[in-house]
Formats: sequence, structure tokens, C-alpha cells
Amino acid sequence: MASSTRQGLTSALRGVTRTLNGKRPPLPKQRLQTLRLSGGSRCLSTESITPAKAIDIQGLAERYRIAEHARAVPVSASYFSRTPIFNDRYLALDKLARSYTNLPVVPPADAEPVVWKNLSDLRRSIGEQVKATDYADCLAIVRRLHQIHPDLKPDIVKEALDDFKRDVQGFLNRPVPIPIDKFGRALGVGKRKSSTARAFVVEGDGQVLVNGKTLVDYFGRVHDRESAVWALHATDRLDKYNVWARVEGGGTTGQAEALTLAIAKALIAHEPALKPALRKAGCVTRDPRRVERKKHGRVKARKGPTWVKR
Amino acid sequence: MSAPSCLRCLVRPSAGVTVSSLPRSSPLAVARAAPFSTTTANLRPKKEVQTGGAPKGHVRSGKMLQLGKFKKGKAGDRGRTPAPGERKAYRKRITLSNDNAIPVPWLTDLGPADLANPANTARIMALPTEVQDQLRASEAFKPTQCWGMFRKPAVLVRKETIDMANRMQNAADKRHTLRLVVSGDKLTGKSLMVLQAMAHAHLNNWVVIHIPEVQELTTACTEYAPIPNTDPVQYMQPVYVLKLLQAIRRANEGVLSKILTVSAHPELSQSMPPNTPLLALAGAAKEPDAAWPVFQALWSELTAQGANRPPILLSADGLAHMMKVSDYRSPAFDLIHSHDLALVRLFADALGGGLRLPSGGAVIAATTRSNAPRTPSMELALAQREAEANKGLGGPSSSGAVEVPQRDPFFRGYDDRVEAVLRSVQVLRVRGVDKLEARALMEYWAASGMLRATVDEKAVTEKWALSGGGVPGEMERAALLTARI
Repeated sequence: MASSTRQGLTSALRGVTRTLNGKRPPLPKQRLQTLRLSGGSRCLSTESITPAKAIDIQGLAERYRIAEHARAVPVSASYFSRTPIFNDRYLALDKLARSYTNLPVVPPADAEPVVWKNLSDLRRSIGEQVKATDYADCLAIVRRLHQIHPDLKPDIVKEALDDFKRDVQGFLNRPVPIPIDKFGRALGVGKRKSSTARAFVVEGDGQVLVNGKTLVDYFGRVHDRESAVWALHATDRLDKYNVWARVEGGGTTGQAEALTLAIAKALIAHEPALKPALRKAGCVTRDPRRVERKKHGRVKARKGPTWVKR
Repeated sequence: MSAPSCLRCLVRPSAGVTVSSLPRSSPLAVARAAPFSTTTANLRPKKEVQTGGAPKGHVRSGKMLQLGKFKKGKAGDRGRTPAPGERKAYRKRITLSNDNAIPVPWLTDLGPADLANPANTARIMALPTEVQDQLRASEAFKPTQCWGMFRKPAVLVRKETIDMANRMQNAADKRHTLRLVVSGDKLTGKSLMVLQAMAHAHLNNWVVIHIPEVQELTTACTEYAPIPNTDPVQYMQPVYVLKLLQAIRRANEGVLSKILTVSAHPELSQSMPPNTPLLALAGAAKEPDAAWPVFQALWSELTAQGANRPPILLSADGLAHMMKVSDYRSPAFDLIHSHDLALVRLFADALGGGLRLPSGGAVIAATTRSNAPRTPSMELALAQREAEANKGLGGPSSSGAVEVPQRDPFFRGYDDRVEAVLRSVQVLRVRGVDKLEARALMEYWAASGMLRATVDEKAVTEKWALSGGGVPGEMERAALLTARI
């Protein structure tokens, strides 16, 4: 009987239980300390432990009574929607956007680049089936808030936006700048297919040594020679730098094109302003293509076996 | 009502098809001639059918699947097949002028002193017509060189050329013999150096004897016979010597006609009284059998003591073939050393200094990189000579660190005879051209219309770098031989 009333009271007072339990129950460690070991004796006695006073439920109920007939009410009105958490955030963002609408903004291009969660990311992180249109509307607000001038952006806005940022921010990855050592060399590394090239680029008059040989001795094809020094050629720097390179793996074409990338990277270390020109010449991005694997039932990756009548 | 003619086959009611070939069931169709037909093959009048002969070929010819295995003989006339040797002749032909190339106005002909004049460094100069003929007679031009791209043959005067021509001139003035080996990397212009030496010699009225490919002498592709009364046995190569005699005769016609013999040569079948022009002596051999004695007689006349003879240039291309054991076999089936072949021995003796040229001259041999047997002794000897020369110079590039390479004690492939020959030769290493010379070359190409690009600092540097530091052959490949218009 008493237990049933206690339960009913607790549920009725759910709104105020937090204030009631302001004083936390003692931690197990503290509880252990209360079990004092009697000096010298090896046995533990329970006499020192005094039981807690019984909670006067009835009195408490009298003191903190809220209403005659209390019932459980959800904290948020979104409780009854299909996506309560998202709804709450959306409303909070909307409120923020309205309250800070007068703050100065920067153009979108000048705002700090951020990768926002896409729809599936957001669904996964919240665990709710967010609608695509709702997501789009929400993200428009997010973007608008993100445009607020960084010096004036309130902390509350920053915290609210953090929920919408993707966990991995690619824009934060900064390549380590290639140093130029005391001899004036910059070391660039490039890869293509299964070849790896390391090129030391130093100011000079256009000499190239690949694995200790001249360009002519190392690459028999004129095309390979051209692609090896393409980064220098495309930027008119062929007579300004010398290259000493080490190439490993792969065939001649792969080695030549690995050299392109290596020399381009080292050249960017010398002259960072050349990067757009080199990108236009196709010397900046690594070509990710590799040999396609062979499949069973096929002669090569895709080639079918010869047709036989029987 | 159905159409009078079969709609699926527009051919049937055509005029070309004879009545007999038509089915009887459509008499109307004969009168109606279709204005056109999509198939022409069936429109051909079939005469055999009219004459009543059996139709040729299969009834369903052209509609049957033909697999490769059962194909009939190749259809169509492929024209005349080339005669034996025609393809090779086409491959080996030498074209020295191109009428479509633009003549270069500032091109001047080489004079006798031009190749030795340092003022001509990095200039392109044309070979005079008579020198062209002489060089062609002694096969100095090669099919792999780009002579056929330009209006007339011209050469770049390089620093090495000036150096070599001056050495030749000094040797001739002092009646010494210049013994020089031209070596260098692939396509650096070693054969062209020999050609320039020959041009210089021809312009200065030397006698030039040139062996265009030494491998023809030592790879057992020409006849050989032991020379009687020689110990150890030497071998002559009569067919090759006859060819060489004819080449000498044609190349040195002007010089040889002015030189007269000093002694009678009783060993020759023809009588050669003294004071006969050497040209007649050189022409005395009509048969391969007589070639070697005639060549010996000619050589003895050219090197006669006391007589006023012009300087001689002995030149050869492909030295490595001369410095190995040849592919010929003795009667005992032993391999014959190249230096036991009489003609090779003569050249080797001259190169080694054993044979003196009384009126001076030069012995110049070029190595090859593309077609050369491995000759460790020659490589070692040339490296040694070069190192010694660098040591003597003591230049900044060779400050103290120059080590003269020594024999590998654990390798037994060395050849003492080769090292004896190369003990005291001079070595001229040919490298890539510098940028000034590269620019001269490219300007000449552009002026001839063969290089369609502006020749400026940038273009020159690009080709220079792409060709591994100005290797001229590679510059040609990068600039002239790649079809990029």
C-alpha cells in the first residue's frame, strides 16, 4: 500500500524530482569510507552504520504540491511531432536567426569554409527521419547564421551551428608546406600508377638527372621526356631550375608522369604563385587510377573468354 | 489486290534482269521496269545464264558465313612485288637534298680553312658540291642522318670540330700523324665528326681512305683468303678491298691523278711503269683476285719515302668491331683475331703508331654506341687515355680527383693486342652542343622551313633540355622527327 502511494507520488512529482534530489546520493567510495574499520580488528561491524531517515513522502507532497490533479506533460511541444529533436533545433535556429538578423554578414565566399551534414548524415546523427524539404529549409538558416561576421558572431550561434557540422572537416586539412633546405633544394614527391618519384628541384639552367642518367638516357620516348619535365615546360621554367630525381616502380610512362607531379610540387615550393598555372597544366592532382583487378570468369579485368562453339 | 511486283524485292521487275531469270508467275512484271535498284550486283547481265552454261560459284554466294579458316585466296591484285634487294636499297638510299625545303640565303660553302677557324664556331656551313660527291663516294653519309630534309647538305661547326681540324692541320704541317679516337654518347655526332674530318681533308687535297662500317670487315660477311707467305697468317678480303679501291678512286680522283708512281710494281699483272698516275694504279684492279696486291701497291706508293705525297686521312666508323676477335675462322677452325685481317691490321697499325705516314696525316676512328660489341679492353683504354689527358690539363673539372682506371684483376676478357694499339691515341669526347650551337642549329632548321616555331631563348632551352643537354641527334628527334604541326 505504502509502496503504491510512493510510486504514484513520484510520478506525480516528476517535474520537481530534480529539485528534490538536489543533494546527490553519496558515491560508493564515500559509502565505503563510512564503513569504518575498527582499529586493529579484522572483522567488519555494522554497528557504526546508522540507517537513513525515512523520507516523509506525505509531507513532501504537501510542501511541493503544484496542482490538484497533476499529469505528465512533455517538456517540448515537439513531443507530438514525428521528428521532435530536429524540430527543436530547427525552432531554436529560427529563433536565433530572427534575433540576430541585424548583425553584419560577410559574403558567402569569405565565410570560413565548412562542410555541413548532408541529409543522410543528419538523419543518422539525430536518429529521426527528417524530411528533405525541412532539411533544406533548416540548412538555409544555418548558412545564413554562418554568414554573420566572425568577430560579432555570438557564442550561442556557434554552438547551435556545431550540431550541423560534419564530424570530419576536410577544409581543416592543411598540406604541410615543402621547405627549401639550406642548399636551395625543394623535395617533391609524386606518384602515378605504381611509380614513385622524388625530385629535388634547385635553381639552375635546365639540367635534369633521373636516377643518375640524363633525361635522354633514361627515357627513350620523346613523349616521356616531355611529360617528365612538363611542369617546368608549362610554366616556362625549364631554363631556371635543375632537377635531380629518383624514380622507382612501374613502367616508363608511369615513372615519367610521377616525375611530372614530383617536379610540380617542388616547383610550387619555390614559387607558390605558379599553382594555378600548374593546375591548369594538369600537374597538381594525382591521377588515382590503378590497374583494374582481374575478375574470375574473365581473361583480364573485362575481356571475355573466346567464344567456343562447343 | 496484291502489287504486281514483290515489294520485298525491288530487283525483280528491272530491265537489266533477263526474262529467263524471272519467275513465270509474274508476266506483268516484265513490262514494268523499276527506275532504280538498291542492289547493283544482281543487275549485272548474266551471260552464262543466257548461253545455258552452268552458273559459276555457289548458289548462295555472298550470303554464306565465311570463316577465316575457309577463306579463298586473297582477292585483288596487289601490284608488282618488289624485286630482291629493292626494299633494302630503298631503306639504305641516301637523299642529300630536298627541293621542297626553303634555300637558306645566308648559308655559305665550306672553304679549305673554314673548319679550323675558331671564328666559325656555332655556324652552319654547306658542303661544296664536289665534296658532297667525294663524301658520297666513300659512303660518309648514312641513311639515319637527316640530310634529306634540307635543300643542301650542311654541317654545324662545333668547338670539337675546330679542335679536331686544328689538330689535323698541325699534324699535316709537321708531317706527323694525328691518331684520334672520337667517342661519346649515343647520337652526339661522332660520325658527323668523322665526316667533317673527311670534308676538311678533301678541301685541303688530302688522300682520304674511309671504312664506312668496320663491321662489314669483321662479321664474316665478306669473302676472305689467307695471304701466302705471311707468318702469322694474315687474311685478305678481296671483294671488300676491290670495293674500297673503287671508292678511293672516285673520292680522290683529283688528287690521285696528280700523283705519279715512283716505282714499277712487278707483282701486278698489269705493267705499271714509273710516273703513272696513281689513279691508273687504283683502277688497275678489275677483279677481286687482283684487288689486294693493287691496294698494297697503292698504299706503298702513297707512303713512299722521299716522294712529295699529300697527307693521308685514314678514317673508320665503328671502332669496336675492329677491336675484337672477328667472326672469321682459320682452316683449323679457330677464330681469327681482327688484327690478323690485313686491311684491319693496316688501320690498327696506323692507329697504334706502328705505321708512320711519311707526309703526315691523320688516323681517325669513331666509336658507335648503338651497334657495338662489348670490348672491355677498348673501353678501358679509352677511359685511361681520357683520364690521362684530363690529368695533364689539370682543369677545374679535373682537380686532383682524376683516377686513371686500371684493369679489373678478376676479369679475364681483356685483349693485349687491343690495348697495345690504343696505348697512345688521343681521345676526343663528343658531348651535347651548347646553347649557342643549339640555337644555330634550330635557326637553320627554321630557315629551311623544317621547324615551324619561333626560335627564341625559350624554344632553344626547351629543346636543349629535352635532348639531355643538347645531344644533337635527340634535338633532331624532338624538333624535326616528331610530326607535330
